[in-house]
Amino acid sequence: MSKSSDREFAITRVFGAPRELVFKAWTEPKHMAQWWGPHGFTNPVCELDVRPGGAYRIVMRDSDGVDYPVKGVYREVVKPERLVMTVDVSEHPAEWHDMVMPNHAKGDANPAGAMLQTVTFEEQNGKTKLTIRMHFESAAIRDAFVKAGMNEGWSESLDRLAGALSQAGEK
Amino acid sequence: MSQDHLSSTFAALADPTRRAILARLTSGEASVTELAEPFAMSLPAVSKHLKVLERAGLVARGRDAQWRPRQLQAGPLKEVDQWLDHYRRFWDGSLERLDVHLPKMQARGKRHETPRKKRSRKK
Repeated sequence: MSKSSDREFAITRVFGAPRELVFKAWTEPKHMAQWWGPHGFTNPVCELDVRPGGAYRIVMRDSDGVDYPVKGVYREVVKPERLVMTVDVSEHPAEWHDMVMPNHAKGDANPAGAMLQTVTFEEQNGKTKLTIRMHFESAAIRDAFVKAGMNEGWSESLDRLAGALSQAGEK
Repeated sequence: MSQDHLSSTFAALADPTRRAILARLTSGEASVTELAEPFAMSLPAVSKHLKVLERAGLVARGRDAQWRPRQLQAGPLKEVDQWLDHYRRFWDGSLERLDVHLPKMQARGKRHETPRKKRSRKK
């Protein structure tokens, strides 16, 4: 059996900055508010109580003024190496839930189950390798993700499938 | 219910043979025999995979009673793709912005630091 750690939904990036700085960008509100979210978003609320058991709350705002609150609790804080936090997007607008999960049940705000996010900061010759792993607390989904090898062939083949489907056209 | 829906899609997609079957079906409907060919697999084994795909709503049976071709159903895949795409886009955007923000932090840090530079490294 393969390790689950390299089989989850993971994103990795290398930044040309020391990891203390990258960690700081993740843990100080004035910095986090500058980069969190897709292009064109601002963060009018960014409250981070960075300690185990501490809560955070970030409200992203898109260019149309729609707010997308994200909240959670830090489970692990190891400066400057590692952050583990829960991620709760239940306060996102209903339209968002409808778009992302068209078949979600009404009142089921977290259809994918609560998510756990592990962020690791690794030093690499003055650069920092950042890895974000998403864990899904819903056992069924998590297991499926682990089996599927999210960060490898699975998403690739899904991309290809999706591409083929959109070419094939819709009924 | 929706969670079951999404997880049954994920579970169906978790197997490489089933993903290959779906990939084959993107180029058009096919019979069980045709689907079994590239996998060197027995018909019952392929039927078993097809049953999982059918239960997840990813594959449907065509109307031809004799031939019983299987067809791809796009709905659940699109749902999963949209859901994942949200996270991909979120992180692509955020990490690009972080990449832009870090040099600003560095520049600011240098201004406030006492000027005790490390000697530049020789190659």
